[in-house]
Amino acid sequence: MKQIETEHSHRFLEIRMESIGGLGANLAGKILSESGVIRQGLNGWYAASYGSEKKGSPVKAFVRFAPHEIEIRGTYPVDEPDVVAVFHEALLHNPSTIAGLRTGGTLLVNTKRSPAELRGQVGRNDITVACVDALGISVREGTRINAAMLGAMCHVVPLLDVDAVRNGIAETFTTKYQHLLDANLRTFDGAREEVTEEAPLDETPYVPSNGATVGRALGYETMFVGGSIPYAGNSIAKDLSASRQGFVPTFNVDTCIHCAACDQVCPDACFVWETRDNGRGREFQFLVGIDYQYCKGCQKCVEACPTDALQTAPEDEAYVLANRVQKFGPANFAVVNSSAKEVTSR
Amino acid sequence: MSMNVIERQTSQNPVEPEKKQIEEFHSGNEMAARAAAQINYHLMGYFPITPSTEVAEYLDEMRVRGEHNITMIPADGEHGAAGINYGASTAGGRVFNATSSQGFLYMLENLPVQSGTRFPMVLDLVTRAVSGPLDIRGDHSDLYYGLNIGWPILLARDPQAVYDMNLIALRVAEHSDVRLPVIVAYDGFFTSHAKRRVKFFEDKAVVQDFIGPVPTPPVTSLDPRHPVTIGPYMNDPDQMNNKYQQSLAMYKAGDVFVQIAKEYERISGRAYEILDLYRMEDADVALFILNSAADTARDAVDELRAMGIKAGIVSPNIIRPFPKEAIQEALAKVKVVLVGERADSYGGHGANLTHEVKAALQEIHTPIHVLSRVYGLGGKEFYPDDARSLFDLCTAWLDGEQVADFDYFGVHPGDEEAATIALHHGLPPLSREEMSGYVSVAQNEETGELSVKAPNLRALTKKPRRLAPGHGACPGCGIFPGIETFLKGIEGDVVVLYQTGCAMVTTTGYPYTSHRVTYLHNLFQNGAATLSGLVEMFWEKKRRGEIEVGEDITFIMVTGDGGMDIGMGPAIGAALRNHKMIILEYDNEGYMNTGAQLSYSTPLGHMTSTSGVGPQGNGKTFPHKDTAQIMAATNIPYVFTGTEAFPQDLIRKAAKAQWYANHEGLVYGKILIACPLNWKSKDELGNVIVGAAVKSCFFPLYEVEHGKTTITYNPEQKDERIPASDWLKTMGKTRHLLKPENAGLLHDFEVEIERRWRRLIAKHEHPEL
Repeated sequence: MKQIETEHSHRFLEIRMESIGGLGANLAGKILSESGVIRQGLNGWYAASYGSEKKGSPVKAFVRFAPHEIEIRGTYPVDEPDVVAVFHEALLHNPSTIAGLRTGGTLLVNTKRSPAELRGQVGRNDITVACVDALGISVREGTRINAAMLGAMCHVVPLLDVDAVRNGIAETFTTKYQHLLDANLRTFDGAREEVTEEAPLDETPYVPSNGATVGRALGYETMFVGGSIPYAGNSIAKDLSASRQGFVPTFNVDTCIHCAACDQVCPDACFVWETRDNGRGREFQFLVGIDYQYCKGCQKCVEACPTDALQTAPEDEAYVLANRVQKFGPANFAVVNSSAKEVTSR
Repeated sequence: MSMNVIERQTSQNPVEPEKKQIEEFHSGNEMAARAAAQINYHLMGYFPITPSTEVAEYLDEMRVRGEHNITMIPADGEHGAAGINYGASTAGGRVFNATSSQGFLYMLENLPVQSGTRFPMVLDLVTRAVSGPLDIRGDHSDLYYGLNIGWPILLARDPQAVYDMNLIALRVAEHSDVRLPVIVAYDGFFTSHAKRRVKFFEDKAVVQDFIGPVPTPPVTSLDPRHPVTIGPYMNDPDQMNNKYQQSLAMYKAGDVFVQIAKEYERISGRAYEILDLYRMEDADVALFILNSAADTARDAVDELRAMGIKAGIVSPNIIRPFPKEAIQEALAKVKVVLVGERADSYGGHGANLTHEVKAALQEIHTPIHVLSRVYGLGGKEFYPDDARSLFDLCTAWLDGEQVADFDYFGVHPGDEEAATIALHHGLPPLSREEMSGYVSVAQNEETGELSVKAPNLRALTKKPRRLAPGHGACPGCGIFPGIETFLKGIEGDVVVLYQTGCAMVTTTGYPYTSHRVTYLHNLFQNGAATLSGLVEMFWEKKRRGEIEVGEDITFIMVTGDGGMDIGMGPAIGAALRNHKMIILEYDNEGYMNTGAQLSYSTPLGHMTSTSGVGPQGNGKTFPHKDTAQIMAATNIPYVFTGTEAFPQDLIRKAAKAQWYANHEGLVYGKILIACPLNWKSKDELGNVIVGAAVKSCFFPLYEVEHGKTTITYNPEQKDERIPASDWLKTMGKTRHLLKPENAGLLHDFEVEIERRWRRLIAKHEHPEL
């Protein structure tokens, strides 16, 4: 049995998974923790952040391991993890995603990008950065990305026993989804082989910035009495792009007949319209584009479109940035996410 | 092996457990379900509420696999669940339930009835914050409402204890000296949803041996040869004597607990004393704290001990009866105790247990000082550092510093400056002008019939939505297209009330709101009553000239199908009183907000998390509720059905709904909306699937206007009718219905669809029907 060796942590190895509902982080956390406890003989604790049962909203899963004989008492979340595993790259826009990651710890991200590129984005020299194209592997195998993330985690966390976790996956899929077993094991093994990592550049501890946050702003002196929200529609400040799972609708105005079928079926009010003269003195509504800040990628609009003006395409950040039509103007844009404790404005 | 287990084994008389156990990794809710399954209760009446719902879900999974045969009854609300369980318990069988928060409060009035008439059962209270504002996370504010209901209360601070206490609780409840219903309380999320290493008996026969056969009850409602009157009309002086009996039984429950726990220790190796004491033998400062926080606080004690400070923890395993003597003994030599409470008794200078601890200590005249802190409300996390801070208050007092006897721990004042930077102030209010002028309704003076003029969808894109983007619903959620298409037909000013449900939770997560109009929430059995109060206040204020409103406000209640189950009574009440308001139900065929449990609107055979599919289960066992027909029977002016798949139809009905709500009285409308997550269907197909439900005649589009039924889209006449299987094949939750072995069930479902459709056609054709 492997022993826990975490010099910086007095007793535990702590892992935090950052995901959105629907990617299987909860199941990954269960398999990982159960494998450690049942198959590796560790002591362990597992919990997930829990809101309402929604797909597409940010979720966190927490695993705490200790040697067999050490008691794990707390029921509190992992705030200073040794490992942060990010299931959806867009979550990195929110600083809370990697908050508290210990110096010397490991950041694992589902991405096509390289560790060096990611390090540039997160600005941490004191950690190992590991990358795996979990989405690519799972699309190839027709699985969810959680098996790929588990494979990558087994590679970057020496404590984790590959066979134990692999057996955990096998047991899960054998009992519940026999037909997916082989594909998931291939996903798991593929990710172990394809993950790339870069060791810390130096050990200068990271000092988080302490900006104005909603978490700090609202207290018993500043909250409205009774918890009322004295604003209308301020959810427009939220960025829901992380809810997308790899696909966006693309819009071609040239073939659009402005029938509004897309607008009517859209759950997220993403479509932006303009009132224009039709050239013969009558005003009509014209669709000008999509505000991708709110698009969760459901593709209902594509299904509803009677022409080929709306098409499903793999998400390309450059396309989204270049083609986003802002519904409410730039002043309304802020990076926030609904489950984060600290919400930073920019 | 964890310290907990070591300590439990060695606390008094270490014994080798007699019975074989297996070690696994499970949450509190999983262990509660396992205990209930091994006990094999006769019956469970339940209603979904977070975080206790999983217990019923796990039991349903086990039932479908044939692992127990508990009769599981999905109630119409917790009040109904309490009634089901009470009725069942009078028959002398074994009864179980699990609930939380508002569910516990909603059943509260029935709980003293059960203890007062002395019928045992076991209720797992998975503790959670009480509204409002609504908070689903764990604290003890629900538990504190249970302190005066006459039920013994056992506490379980981790998943292991949840299993053990559930087995002990039944024995206590059924003991001839007790005969009271018993609560097992454990922390929502911290214990219910977190997994730990646990042991349980491999063979359920061990559990059966431990609980024994059901003891013969003093009375039973199922013995016609021995008629008995249960629950007579009893005033003074008799009721007081009945209460004294009950009081004596409650104190007996404390002794019985000790005895049963000893017996349990012999088979399990785990000891449960009245109090869990951690390093209390020579403690100067102590923390008195319940359940999971007591576990967390141990790290702080070890830290303080290492610094030479004699700290310890007292955590009760039973709080009803209150363990007075044990607490007196544990705290006799302590200098300062801090009572940490995850609930408040507002205005009481400390919550309930503070005063009970103080009263116990007053009797022994110890010089101990008692501090009291309310902590962790609404599920606010409790870290070892927090425990350390509480101990620091004790040592500060010992050092002669000023320390308030009672306060809140963990609140913060906020920062105005940060609030202006960080908090988005939203959108300007919608003007009446920009929300008007699109849709018009005219009444024919001779026939009284309404005609609607509505522009096409393209023109209606100019009319602002009343819901802003940025809400947190799932991708492809059908709620918002459903509501917004309806609202396209509503002109002018609107005030909305949302009952608890997905639409409420996803649009109002503090401090953000997606509502651009005034919104209020009430719990989901009471929205119709609440809105009717607001409507009448509007008209009364208008009559008194206290508000200046040029035109009317349209009042709309939005509810899910779950809300129309638990809230059916108040909805019918509001309908019979005929208030000028609209009740709009979005029906996604289940309690999706709490994890897809069945609702009465779930169709026959459809799979949910409480109507599973497997060797012993084939989805829901009874047909869907016809809410539109129930509401039509109240003789309100207007009832309609609609979906986003027929937008012009829905917009026309909305316009009529508004006309009736503003001129005549209550309107009820049901819109079928897709839930891709829990229908297990593709995100992009929501519109297509609800359209198929209409075309299969499962969900006919019609209206009932002054009692007259009109089918507004007849797929048969348009030659667009499809077989139900074409609709069912689009969803994972119904795929099993298409298997050859389920042909009979599918046939039954088709027969029910056809029967209802033919009746509707008859009503359409005959104005008197």
